[in-house]
Amino acid sequence: MAFSAEEMLALYRKMLLVRRMEEKHGELLASGDIWMMGHFGTGQEAVAIGITAPLKKEDYLFPTHRGVGEFIGKGMVPKDIWAEYYGRTTGLAKGKGGLHLSDVRVGLMGLVGSLGADFAVAVGTALSSKMRGTGQVTMIYFGDGTSNQADFHPSMNLAALWQLPIVFACANNQYSELAHYRETTSTEHIAPRAAGYGVPWKIVEDGNDIQAVYAATAEAVDRARRGEGPTLVEYKTYRIAAHFTGDPGGYQPKEEIEEWKKKDPIDRFRARIIEQKVATADDLENMNREVIAEVEDAVKYAQESPWPAPEDIYQDLYA
Amino acid sequence: MTRTITYQQAINETLRQEMEKDKMVFILGEDVRVSPFGQTAGLVEQFGKERVRNTCIAESAIVGTAIGAAMTGMRPVAEIMFADFMYLAMDAIASQAASWRYMTGGQVKLPLVIRTVSGAGWAMGYNHSQSTEASFMHPPGLKIAVPSTPHDAAGLLRTAIRDDNPVLFFEHKFLFPTSGEVPDEEYAIPFGQADVKRQGKHVTVVATLLMVHKALAAADELSQEGIEVEVVDPRTLTPLDKETILASVKKTGRLVTVEESRARNGVGAEIAAMVASEGFDFLDAPIQRVGAPDVPIPYSPPLESTFIPNEDRIIEAVRRVLG
Repeated sequence: MAFSAEEMLALYRKMLLVRRMEEKHGELLASGDIWMMGHFGTGQEAVAIGITAPLKKEDYLFPTHRGVGEFIGKGMVPKDIWAEYYGRTTGLAKGKGGLHLSDVRVGLMGLVGSLGADFAVAVGTALSSKMRGTGQVTMIYFGDGTSNQADFHPSMNLAALWQLPIVFACANNQYSELAHYRETTSTEHIAPRAAGYGVPWKIVEDGNDIQAVYAATAEAVDRARRGEGPTLVEYKTYRIAAHFTGDPGGYQPKEEIEEWKKKDPIDRFRARIIEQKVATADDLENMNREVIAEVEDAVKYAQESPWPAPEDIYQDLYA
Repeated sequence: MTRTITYQQAINETLRQEMEKDKMVFILGEDVRVSPFGQTAGLVEQFGKERVRNTCIAESAIVGTAIGAAMTGMRPVAEIMFADFMYLAMDAIASQAASWRYMTGGQVKLPLVIRTVSGAGWAMGYNHSQSTEASFMHPPGLKIAVPSTPHDAAGLLRTAIRDDNPVLFFEHKFLFPTSGEVPDEEYAIPFGQADVKRQGKHVTVVATLLMVHKALAAADELSQEGIEVEVVDPRTLTPLDKETILASVKKTGRLVTVEESRARNGVGAEIAAMVASEGFDFLDAPIQRVGAPDVPIPYSPPLESTFIPNEDRIIEAVRRVLG
């Protein structure tokens, strides 16, 4: 399937927005304006935006800690992200979540800090939509590193056993925290594990091609929505960013990073848009300026938002 | 009018009644269709396999699944077959279920119940005998029910299922065959309301689950010597009915806490600390805690019975606080 011109521009804009948001986070951290460390997804924007594009607003998504990609993809807006990052009362979690963003209105159910703790929770939302007959699909997005967590196993098993409407989306960015994934993972590919549960799987070899990411994901999402059960899709990509801002670094060879910068998913999509005459370079530069302005406005909104009061610490614990 | 039922029946029929009332209520866990202790026996015949759902052996995934279902409109009642196995789901319970609502600033609610079975004394060894409820008093965001009678089991379970928060519900394996009176009509027991199981004026004994019955037996014996023990059953550990405990200590001036698990960092430790800070002036003697020694639960019957607190140890503690 091919994107319409409108879709291409909308997806490109989201990818740009993600990149500019994370760059801004880095700047604000360097200047001491914000104190929350960043786990950026630089270089993985095609996966984050491509996997969320086939989802409907009411579908459930369990995101990763790596940047804001899938949050933007699923429909969270910059001002809500910054308000939460700044720890202000205008954040959707009123500053209690911080990096652990959620926007339940658009199906972003919450970001766990114990990686992999959400595998079974995603099974639960998928079971719930199946039992309630709502047609909603759940997507659990995780990395090659988290694929080794214990709950991956029973969650795949239960999702397959109960034929749940769920997509397991694994970004293989080649680095599990501060080590190459092959130092800690026994196989090159994650997706074939699905066969052990009788679950169909697919590898997207070029996870920096948003079209390829979208196509494979849309197929899995449609399968889930038709009631045909889970799929595991693995997207090969590369984490240009460090694991966290200020990590010791040095474990990713410089040449490797340079090589992957040439495959930057945003640059590639941009070239395709221009080549297919969907927009001109000037148009896209204008879009970039708009995106920067949107990010700046959102940061300003957060900076000007009120702090929580100390007594708010006791709010929202029990329903 | 009242009727007499067992603790196991109280749980079974409350589950049945709540499932009849609300189709969002469903059960999941290991072997919940056959049900080795019988709490969920017969429910699959009435409600079908969709709502009485056997899971694979994976406690963390049972709780995780319940969390996801609860945050999207269902009211799951998960079963963890033995309280020991709650630790296999520790992150899911203590970090995720406990915090999810808070972490989202109240965007979701988690109406889920986790039922489990505690208690030593069946020579089942270190991993099928523990009473782990005290471990869950530490994380915020949970509620903990510890019924000691059929009446309390039915009333607390009904409240647990209707509560919009994660509730841990501990059943004691020795209590399943015990019987007691319950009202004919449906009733619920609010959380945070202790029950004074026996009135007394000389010493307050706070006990939970099976230890309530041992405390009552000890009180019977002491009463023959003219020592009148007041037995207070908190019924829920979170929230804790501080008022009833403090009022009792104010009357008696003496406090003994009794729990089946280790006293160190236990239920009694929290209650003793609370009374020491909020009711110090009421106390005429140092508080005594009765609990198990700081060892795993051994298998051999003479060792296991040394582990489990008994009437003699409760009587000794009562005598100590009386000087």
